[in-house]
Amino acid sequence: MERGESDTEREDDIEKAELLKDRFRLSAISIIQNEAKKHDMEASEAVVSCIADLAFKFSEQLAKDLELFARHANRKPVNMEDVILSAHRNEDLAASLRSFSEEMKAKAPQIGKKRKKSKADDIGIPE
Amino acid sequence: MEDAFDPDLIDAIFKLVWKRKKKGPPSAAFVGSEIGGTDVVDAEDEVGTSKKNRPTTVKVEALKLSCELIRIFVIEAVQRAAIIAEAEGISKIEATHLERILPQLLLDF
Repeated sequence: MERGESDTEREDDIEKAELLKDRFRLSAISIIQNEAKKHDMEASEAVVSCIADLAFKFSEQLAKDLELFARHANRKPVNMEDVILSAHRNEDLAASLRSFSEEMKAKAPQIGKKRKKSKADDIGIPE
Repeated sequence: MEDAFDPDLIDAIFKLVWKRKKKGPPSAAFVGSEIGGTDVVDAEDEVGTSKKNRPTTVKVEALKLSCELIRIFVIEAVQRAAIIAEAEGISKIEATHLERILPQLLLDF
């Protein structure tokens, strides 16, 4: 079979996964340290790397959940609703995500309207 | 929100997870980091992926929301551990503090 091909592809994937994991870790570490500083705290190295790993695991799990939710709704693209659904066990978390999503929704159509308006102006001027 | 996760980075991680899930039994690919739980995931996969081969995608807003969710997870972990450390009168978050809050944190997310 195509063993050789799939093996090299798999190796590439592992390499890519490691790279992504490192990048994820870096941003997680900066968030952790900033947050600790806000509380006048210092986080020990073990704690920092542990939380970063936890967050990575969490996002992997989130990816699986989101795919299943979208598939269950017979959709291909993952929606904001799917993300909110993934936090349904924690009502406070779901509520805060919902308000965050509404904030984003409120911002998005404004940009669209502005664009449309400016286009209309462009058309209007030459006449 | 000074620093958050890069949506592109999260997108890449999601895509990788989805791609990995599709490739039949790829448990060998993640021997290093996945100790348990892979068997369950593999079993789920075979049911759904055989018919639909198109890859899953994420909408931009959904991606931003996911970034926010992961950021809240990290911040919550630090805050809860910081509270325990503060109660003990120590200004450094140690592993024992994280251990104390971990069970409830994982239940909450």
